[in-house]
Amino acid sequence: MSSVQTSHQAVDVQGLWKIFNEGSNNEVTALSDINLSIKPGEFISLIGPSGCGKSTLLRVIGDLTDATRGEVFIAGETAHIAREKQLYGIAFQQAALFDWRTVRRNVELPLELQGLGKKERRERALELLELVQLSDFAEHRPWELSGGMQQRVAIARSLAVDPPLLLMDEPFGALDEMTRERMQNELLRICQETGKTIIFVTHSIPEAVYLSDRVVVMSPRPGRITHTVPIELGERNEDTRETDTFYAGVTAVREALRGRSTSASPSRIEEF
Amino acid sequence: MREPVSGKQRGATRTRVQRGVISILWALAGVALVVFMWEAVKFVGSFIDLPLNTSDTSMPHVWTMVDAFSNPVVRGSDTTVLQAVVSATLTSLKIALGGFAIGVTFGIILAVIMQRFAFFERGLLPFVIASQTVPLIALAPLIVGLGNRISLGPIEWTTTYSVMFIAAYLAFFPLSVGALRGLQAPSATSLELMRSYAARPNQMLWKLRFPSSVPYLVPALKVSAAAAVVGTVVAEISTGVKGGVGRLLIEYARETTSQPAKVYVAVFGAIALGLAAAALVSALDLYLTRNLPKESQA
Ligand SMILES: Nc1ncnc2c1ncn2[C@@H]1O[C@H](COP(=O)(O)OP(=O)(O)OP(=O)(O)O)[C@@H](O)[C@H]1O
Ligand SMILES: [Mg+2]
Repeated sequence: MSSVQTSHQAVDVQGLWKIFNEGSNNEVTALSDINLSIKPGEFISLIGPSGCGKSTLLRVIGDLTDATRGEVFIAGETAHIAREKQLYGIAFQQAALFDWRTVRRNVELPLELQGLGKKERRERALELLELVQLSDFAEHRPWELSGGMQQRVAIARSLAVDPPLLLMDEPFGALDEMTRERMQNELLRICQETGKTIIFVTHSIPEAVYLSDRVVVMSPRPGRITHTVPIELGERNEDTRETDTFYAGVTAVREALRGRSTSASPSRIEEF
Repeated sequence: MREPVSGKQRGATRTRVQRGVISILWALAGVALVVFMWEAVKFVGSFIDLPLNTSDTSMPHVWTMVDAFSNPVVRGSDTTVLQAVVSATLTSLKIALGGFAIGVTFGIILAVIMQRFAFFERGLLPFVIASQTVPLIALAPLIVGLGNRISLGPIEWTTTYSVMFIAAYLAFFPLSVGALRGLQAPSATSLELMRSYAARPNQMLWKLRFPSSVPYLVPALKVSAAAAVVGTVVAEISTGVKGGVGRLLIEYARETTSQPAKVYVAVFGAIALGLAAAALVSALDLYLTRNLPKESQA
């Protein structure tokens, strides 16, 4: 991690448009003129009402679908090259583990596809399972795990190739509040330990505020970025969620989602 | 943590074995019931007129049938009827298995091609479906006739190959359709995940599509195996090819007046053939689904 990262943004999205079924009568403008630069090591949350294009943005960045117009760079590479080079890891709302593989071999999958040796990938997988505190379940089958545990396996898998960037689409969406908060702390810990850049899609305002350096607020029809709310909570701990800064952040994001804050007090957002 | 894992797996096998034993017991109960019904009908038939000929010539006693096992095939011969039936059944089994293997291979290859190239799916699937409306069994003699004109260099095309071809043809269809559905089964998320790993098309096939096709493949294999067996026996009958249990059925059926129980021995052979095929597919099922949760072992 290095020369590439110091000289480039971790993610650079320029003038991005995504129009589904362009030209036909069920045309949908999912993304319109998205511009977003993310620094290495930054934690970004995308938040916005359903259908505003959060998943689509993530998928375009991951080169899982093509941009209609505009460009995406990851660490200076085009999205396509970045995917080929495995410069990002991805986790979805569904853990999407393969039932026919053990937990360990699920984590090994990306490494296996890259042709890494059996011994190396096994070691790496066990290391990652330790990171998400699931060492004891390495040889279990995914269906024997709870939803939260499965999601942790999916996160371990997304870290397998040690990508500088993580794309996460509502990975904690299906979890209960307690598990969710524990997972948030685990994710922050992993980030601190590994220094990764993260784009995190969520519907939860407190979650976005708690995790992020910056919350990107989107609005639908057409999908676009309306606000960017910087968050400065410093080191997160047990009391962070009780602090005034945290509440102020939540309020700012909520206002932004209502489409108010620009007109009401644009400077407030900058204060954070 | 190794301990509980293997413990759990052993537990799972045990319930599988238990389930196996239970289903064998049920099967035996079923056989006992059929024997009982058979004899009951004969017994009732000896008192009142049933719309069914219950005389010993058309419905021999079960013990007469069992007795017929050890009769010589023809008077003075060393081979018993049982031996003749067993060897004929084995011959048919080989043909059916050959046809099954060929049908499965082509079915899977075609499914892979259809999955990979949407163009082929649109172009081929209607033909695959239409092909099943061709009454191949009725055309069996024609196929034998055509087959006799095929020359494969050193390998001589025999009628047996024609029968195998018919079995393969019948096994092929359910398999290709089932396999195609299976290959198309992976969720959008799994496919995107593989794409994010920059998986090559063959990796996509081996690491995702084949494993996820198993729940669809297993029932398709069951149907295919049954089709191969039925196809073999019926094609043997309609082409009159020697050596198999189908031919034996016609031969022994002609001897009902003199030895009414004999044809039933051949029938048992045909049943054994079906059971062998079912056992093979069940073994395949257990092997293929060994890593899957119970729910998907449909
Ligand atoms: N494959 C597709 N074809 C056509 N339209 C699509 C497709 N995928 C997404 N869309 C449209 O693009 C818009 C954005 O969808 P997207 O899934 O990105 O929303 P989202 O913000 O992730 O919503 P949610 O919060 O519900 O997950 C929606 O209007 C959706 O209907
Ligand atoms: Mg979404």
